[in-house]
Amino acid sequence: MEAAPPFLDVNTLLEASEPRPRIPLMQFLIGGFVLAIILSFFLNRSSPGGPSQEVLQSLIGFGLMGFVGCVTMAGFISVRRVRAEQAAVGAVDELVQLRRWPEAGLMLQTMLSRPARSPLARAQSLLYLAMVLARYHRFEDSVTVHDYILSEIPLDDVTDHAVRLGRAMSLLREDNLLDADRAIAELRRTSRGVDSAGLALVEIYRDVKTGHPAEAIEMFEKQLQVLRRQLSHRVADAWALVARAYDLLDRRSDAQTAYDNATLLMPLAELTRRYPEISPLATKYQPAPAPLEVA
Amino acid sequence: MLSVDGTITRFRRDLTIAALLRAGLMTVALTCVLAQPLFGMHQDWMPILLAVGGIWVVLSYRSMQGTRMAADSPSLIAAGEFDRAESHIDAALKSFSLFRAAKILSLHHLAVLRHAQNRWRESALLCQALLSQKLGNMQGMARASLLMLADCQIQLGDLRGAFGAMGRLFHYRLSLGEALTLQLLQLDYGWRIGAWESMLQGVGGKIQMCELMPPINAARSQALLALAAYKLNRAELARWLRRRSELLADPREISAGRPVLEEMFRQPL
Repeated sequence: MEAAPPFLDVNTLLEASEPRPRIPLMQFLIGGFVLAIILSFFLNRSSPGGPSQEVLQSLIGFGLMGFVGCVTMAGFISVRRVRAEQAAVGAVDELVQLRRWPEAGLMLQTMLSRPARSPLARAQSLLYLAMVLARYHRFEDSVTVHDYILSEIPLDDVTDHAVRLGRAMSLLREDNLLDADRAIAELRRTSRGVDSAGLALVEIYRDVKTGHPAEAIEMFEKQLQVLRRQLSHRVADAWALVARAYDLLDRRSDAQTAYDNATLLMPLAELTRRYPEISPLATKYQPAPAPLEVA
Repeated sequence: MLSVDGTITRFRRDLTIAALLRAGLMTVALTCVLAQPLFGMHQDWMPILLAVGGIWVVLSYRSMQGTRMAADSPSLIAAGEFDRAESHIDAALKSFSLFRAAKILSLHHLAVLRHAQNRWRESALLCQALLSQKLGNMQGMARASLLMLADCQIQLGDLRGAFGAMGRLFHYRLSLGEALTLQLLQLDYGWRIGAWESMLQGVGGKIQMCELMPPINAARSQALLALAAYKLNRAELARWLRRRSELLADPREISAGRPVLEEMFRQPL
C-alpha cells in the first residue's frame, strides 16, 4: 500500500497544483453544430421541400437552442467552480489572519493536492502556504515556495515586494544571513523598497540578529511613523526588536519602555515565537500588565 | 461629474430596456424553433434564428466591454485617482448592457467612489437604489452596500437609518473583513447614542478583532472602547485601550469627526 504523502510536502504540492489543460468541450460542441448545418445544407439540396427537410430544420433549430443552453450551462458550472476555489482561498486568508494555522494548513493541503482551476488562486494559495510553513518553523520549505513563486508566477509590484519580504524573513529565521543580506539589498533597489515598513522590520531584525543594535535603533527611529502607518498591531514586532537592541546597548530604561509598548500590543508568547532572540528580555523587564477583562 | 439622481434614473431605465430586449429575443428564438413542429407554419425560420443569435452575441460582447471598463475602477479608487475612476464608471454606465450584473456592478462602483469622496448623501442614495434591486447571487455586493449605507447614514446623522442597515446585515453570513467593518460601525453608532454598556459587551473578542484591522480603524475602535470604559468607570481597561490606540496612530487622526474622542485624548492618561 502506498504511504500517504507527508503533511504540506512542498514538492508534491507544487507539482499536484499545476493547472492541467482541459478537454476542449466547447470546440466539440461548435464542431458538431457546424457539421449539422453542413449536413442539412447538402440534404436540403438533394431533396428540396421534402418532409426530410422540415424535420431537419426543426432538428437544427433544437440543436441551436441546445447549443446555446449547453454553452450557458458550461459557463455557469465553470464560474461556480472558479467561485468555489476563490471562496476557499478567501477562507484560508481568514484562517491565516486569525492565526488558526492547523486549519489553514489542512485546507491548503487539500486545495493544492489537485490541479488548480485558475493560476491566480494557485498563486494566492502558494503565498499562504509559504506563511504557514514559516509559522511551523519550516523556513527552508518556505524559502523554496517563495523562490518558486518568484521564478514561475508573474506578479504585480506590490505582491512581488511582499513575496520578497517573506523570503528575506524566512532566510533570516533560517540563519542564512548571506542570502538574507542579498535579498534585503535587492529589496532596497526596488521602488517599493522606499518607505516600506516590511523592509524596515526585516532590516531591524537583521541588525539585531547580527549584533548591530545601534543600526537597528537608528532604523527604528527613522521609520517609526511608516511602521505605525503600515503595520497596525504588527508594529509590536518592531518595538520588541528595538527593546532587544536597547538591551544589547544596556540602555535599560529605553529597553523597558520599548518592551512595555511591544507587550501592550501583542502577547509576549506570540512575540517570542516570532523572534526567539527577544526571549532573554523576559527575565530582565516587566511586560505591560493587561486588565482582567482581557488577560 | 456624474449626477446621482440622473444616473439612478438611467440605470433603472436601462435595466428595464435590457430585460425587455432579452425577453423579446428569447421569444423570437423560441417561436422560430417551435413554429414548425407545433403550429405547422412552413417557412424558413433559420435566417431569423441566426439573426437573433447574431444580435445576442453582439450585445453580449458589448456588455462584456462595459464590464471591462468598470473593472479598473476599484483599483483606481483605491489609488485615489477619483477622476479617472469616474470616467471609467461613466463610460460603463452609459454603454448598453444586455445583462443586469454589469450595470449593477457599475452602480456599485459609483457608490464606492462617492463614499471614498466623503459624499455621504450621494453614496447613500446609490446604495439604496442598488439594494432595491433583486441581487440574486450577488450577495457580496448586497453586504458591501449595506455596510457603506450604514456608514453614510451615521455620517449624515441618520441613526435610525444606520440601525436599520446594520440590522439587515445580521441576515447574512459576513466575511472576516465585513465583520471587522461592522464592528467599527457599531462602535461609531454606539457612542452617538450613548450605548456604553453594549459597546463593552464581549470586550475581549472585540479587542481581538481590532488587532486584525488596518491601523487607523484599529486605533479608532480601541479609542471608542476606551471612551466607553471611561464612561463606565473602568479606568484600568480605559487606560490600557487608550495607550494601545495611541501607539497605533496619531490622536488627531483617530478623533477626526469625533469630538468626544478629542475630548478624551485631551485628558491626562
